Amino acid sequence: MAQYLPIVIMLVLGGVFAAGSFIGSGLLAPKRPHRAKLAPYECGIVPRSEPPERFPVRFFLVAMIFIIFDIEIIFLYPFAAAAGELGTFGVIEVAGFALVVFIAFAYLVANGALSWGPSRKQSYRVVEERLASKVPTGVRGE
Amino acid sequence: MIFANVLSQLPIALPAISYKAVAPELVLFGGALLILLVSATVGKRELPGLYRAIALVAALAEGGFSGYQLYLAQGAKASLAVAGAIAYDGFSAFAGIVVAAILLLAILIGPGFIKRIAGDGPEFLVLMLISAMGATVMAQGEDLIVIFIGLEILSIALYVMVGYRIGDGLAREAAFKYFILGGFSSAIFLYGIALVYGATGTTNLAKIGAFLALNVLTHDGVLLFGLALLLLGFGFKVSAVPFHLWSPDVYQGAPTSVTGYMAAMAKVGAFAALIRVFDIAFAGQIVQWRPIVVGLAILSMVFGALFALRQRELKKILAYSSINHAGFILLGVYAGTAAAISNTLFYLIAYAVIVVGTFGLVSIVQDSIGVSEGSCSLDQLRGLARSRPALATVTAIMVLAQAGAPFTTGFLAKFSIIVSVVEIREYWVAVVAMLSAAIAVAFYLRIVLAMFRGEPEEVEGERVLAIQGAATEAPARRQALAWIGVSLSLVFTVGFGIFPQPLLDLAARAHIVG
Repeated sequence: MAQYLPIVIMLVLGGVFAAGSFIGSGLLAPKRPHRAKLAPYECGIVPRSEPPERFPVRFFLVAMIFIIFDIEIIFLYPFAAAAGELGTFGVIEVAGFALVVFIAFAYLVANGALSWGPSRKQSYRVVEERLASKVPTGVRGE
Repeated sequence: MIFANVLSQLPIALPAISYKAVAPELVLFGGALLILLVSATVGKRELPGLYRAIALVAALAEGGFSGYQLYLAQGAKASLAVAGAIAYDGFSAFAGIVVAAILLLAILIGPGFIKRIAGDGPEFLVLMLISAMGATVMAQGEDLIVIFIGLEILSIALYVMVGYRIGDGLAREAAFKYFILGGFSSAIFLYGIALVYGATGTTNLAKIGAFLALNVLTHDGVLLFGLALLLLGFGFKVSAVPFHLWSPDVYQGAPTSVTGYMAAMAKVGAFAALIRVFDIAFAGQIVQWRPIVVGLAILSMVFGALFALRQRELKKILAYSSINHAGFILLGVYAGTAAAISNTLFYLIAYAVIVVGTFGLVSIVQDSIGVSEGSCSLDQLRGLARSRPALATVTAIMVLAQAGAPFTTGFLAKFSIIVSVVEIREYWVAVVAMLSAAIAVAFYLRIVLAMFRGEPEEVEGERVLAIQGAATEAPARRQALAWIGVSLSLVFTVGFGIFPQPLLDLAARAHIVG
């Protein structure tokens, strides 16, 4: 069991540090609370609307693009570190991997992940609806 | 920096990658990528003909290659590849042929009906090819981690496909249920792998087998618990009782063509991996795992047959029927002899073709009465024999083939599994299996009776209108390819039911390496 001692010590140290930070800041820090500081997501600004809103799905698509490149980078780093040792084999494998990842990216872009703003068709519809709602009822009846 | 230092000091042992061994995966995945690339570059999103052609070529190429591999594997060509993580043997080749058969039928049947739900985009075929690739990885996996990766590739694509009718409450429930429970079972499976690794020091199946043959574990609790968790993970995927609770809801909520595909593909992948793990790597532990497997098999057969009797919903009945089939296939795993394994493979290909064909017919029926791919009650089948006699007859043949009627592959499959059980002298298990098959016949006959009884005109006027409307709306073109797929599965089922020898010979060739 002696070999686990460093882990136990590390756990204890971690706990002591976390508890110490909380207690220390509670005792030492000056307290001048106001509304903005007490809000759950503290950034100094009082929130004007309720947080749970509907996000456009495009945010998720951007998140997926991020993940695609994230994964690519994660694998490119170790490859770059050992590129010399891996030789041609490594280059071919990484090129294949990058190709697969790039096709996923191309698919996302083709499906409009990067085209922000209202689409043309939609904006026309909105304009038409607004026009229709402004027309007085008597005129529309004719 | 640390990375660079560590790596520059060690000579890197490059694994010899045999691209021939992973060719089935490469072909399927390449097909999926090609479809995505075409859809992204051509500028028009919906090119159903082209996508379907690419997918069909990929499926046929995969099947052709697996056939060639099976032909080669007759000699001493079976081997391990990619640092011993991929098996390249007759067993995986046969599983590859089954996968290709399922893909071929599902590509012919599915997209035409999915079009009415989600349009002609590339996603459906891409997901199909990727999940098929997951099944081939599972069939070839010689390492528990590789099998796990295959399981995830297969499952994640299926989760998405199940949720295709997202506007429908039942479909949303089904997709969510499948996703959450599937995630749990994957985690449990992974924990099982960790425990087996803890007990044996490796995740490679060949090395596990060698280790267990040479060493006797004084405390085998960790290994046995790991085995139990692995079995739980597989049991979930093949929907064996008591891990079956998701399957009726998912089968009902998923689009009908997805249900058929999923029922076949998930079972092929999971059973191929199950056989390789339990009948080969843990063959020495057979005394310990046999009681559990036979318990699962008997529960699945009996409860699958009994629960189906009380259902009024066609797709739920077929779900319980697939649970019943899973019990039979588990009996093959339970017997575990070489003959039993090839009988199991025969059962798998027979079952896969029948089930895809049956659900394809359900799709056609639903399309003709104007409901799209959702749930389908037995009442909706009433009078089908009057309004569409050909459709009703073919459906009856396929349903009876599932029941195990003579002159179909369904009969031979059940018969050969029972023979395997008798050969290891477990007579009571064979008797239970036969009784469950007899009970199962009752609910299969209920489906047939529902079609051949009653008049379509008796029901409310709306549905009669729907039938006429669908007839004038030119569903013929949509159904033409589906009919080709269904006819192929009918020809396969009846043809090999009458002349089974070529298929039996093929299954007998499928030896497992090691």
